[in-house]
Amino acid sequence: MIELVKVKKVFNAGNPSEFSALNSINLLIEENQVTVLKGPSGSGKTTLLSIVGCMSRPTAGRVKLQGREITSLPERFLTDIRRKTFGFIFQQPNLIKGISVLDNVMLPAYPLGEKRLHLKTKAMKGLAELNIANKAASKVEWLSGGEAQRASIVRALINDPHIIIADEPTAHLDTKLSYRFMEIIEKFKAEGKTVIITSHDPLVYESSMVDRVVKLRDGQIEGEQA
Amino acid sequence: MILHPTVIANLLAVYISSGMVLYAVYYGVQIVRHWDIQSGHELQLVLERKTYLISTLLSYVFGLQLLSLFLFIFTADSLTPLFVGAMCAAGTLNVDAFGYPTLVLKIFNFILAGLWLVLNYADNQGYDYPLIKKKYLLLAFIAPFIILEAILESAYFLGMEADVITSCCGSLFSSERKTGIGSEIASMPALTMMWVFYGAMLCTLASGIFFYLKGLGGYLYAALSLLTFIVSLVSIVSFISLYIYELPTHHCPFCIIMEEYHYLGYLLYILLFGAVVSGIGVAALIPFRQVESLQFMLSGFLRKLAMTSVILYAAFTAFVTYEIVSSSLVIAYEVVY
Repeated sequence: MIELVKVKKVFNAGNPSEFSALNSINLLIEENQVTVLKGPSGSGKTTLLSIVGCMSRPTAGRVKLQGREITSLPERFLTDIRRKTFGFIFQQPNLIKGISVLDNVMLPAYPLGEKRLHLKTKAMKGLAELNIANKAASKVEWLSGGEAQRASIVRALINDPHIIIADEPTAHLDTKLSYRFMEIIEKFKAEGKTVIITSHDPLVYESSMVDRVVKLRDGQIEGEQA
Repeated sequence: MILHPTVIANLLAVYISSGMVLYAVYYGVQIVRHWDIQSGHELQLVLERKTYLISTLLSYVFGLQLLSLFLFIFTADSLTPLFVGAMCAAGTLNVDAFGYPTLVLKIFNFILAGLWLVLNYADNQGYDYPLIKKKYLLLAFIAPFIILEAILESAYFLGMEADVITSCCGSLFSSERKTGIGSEIASMPALTMMWVFYGAMLCTLASGIFFYLKGLGGYLYAALSLLTFIVSLVSIVSFISLYIYELPTHHCPFCIIMEEYHYLGYLLYILLFGAVVSGIGVAALIPFRQVESLQFMLSGFLRKLAMTSVILYAAFTAFVTYEIVSSSLVIAYEVVY
């Protein structure tokens, strides 16, 4: 369970360009559910997601993960939580060019010191589950959009996170690939994972597997969509 | 003032340290007054971010503080040719009234800075900043001494006049003179001091090993560590120097840092100062063994600290013993020269 208490995020505080991205957000995200944060551009979806995923800190307020307050944690502890608890899927696949798909997928696991052989087996299993095992040795430049997206999903899962965070995952996918992506999300849910997605794509927030849609506007929760 | 590169380096180091410490104290006071980890208030989150900056900054500042002691001694040594009568750092430190007080304060601040670094390291291991208020209270205690050091060191270097006639180490640390702390220590019976030194060292090492193995007697080890540090400093003047110089009348604790003696003094002092800081550090952390977020790491860290201290003291003793054994000087009976 993730709990946000009076979370506020201000950029460029004290400057003429000061911008308040989130204003006193209170939100409870249940485990093993697919939650979609829906809202127009600039509504604070990505900022909220980055705070939940320990990628940035709020200006005020607290975030609790499984009852444990995490916003006050020193950076080294936060890094550990980020690595082990969250898997990130971004708008763009953000794969590193020049190295193979397999190396890209294994990269987030290197700091944890897992044995390479074991890691490779795990990565290959993940690639096989998403039908891109045959591309493991290929360089990422050679992948199609859908393959790159799937490779980034396998990368997000390499440390077996409990929570998957996806920021506008279908923004660069066509309809067929978007449906394929939602099938993958359904599989995560079946495995007991918690999924948080930001999106303003109806294909995502109107999907039957989504448990909850939280509407954001101007940095505030506007309400929930049934 | 003498515009010597080392003087400028010393003054720069002490001014940077003082400025940074004052900056850190300003935020440290806010942290001590307003810190509340349970709160999600904006100020608390600002303080949480600030403490990263402050503690990182202070780690470097206090690291510089540790080095500055040796830089100060090196400077005093390298300025020797400028003063009539000075043969080593002992004479340079005596050119005005601020040299020795600055040195004593630098030694004191070295230990305090070392303790702060130990406390900071332990604090950084906990997920909930367990020692944050303690370390900033310690900083508030240290800050006036750092400022005082800056004042004394400035007065010492800025008031320095070339061609001042000063005393040489043979005069300052003479067993014949009988006045002044240096001469009083030099007058101590060498063989008796040797027994005291080896006795104190043996007790300290045994106590440290006992603490490492059983986790008991930490305060005793810290006390013995401090005692042995003082005894060792006295011993350097009283008898260790005699064996290094192979002269029964030369008690100077500064000539041993010179090239003629292979800079051995630096090694001995680094070992000694490192040993006392890690030794006292044990006592500084023992009260926090029950802190929940430190429970798993602190006992291991305390054992490592104690072992570090033991190894440094043992290395110091080994070098001293080697110098005594390999020296041509033989003190066969008690004679005070």
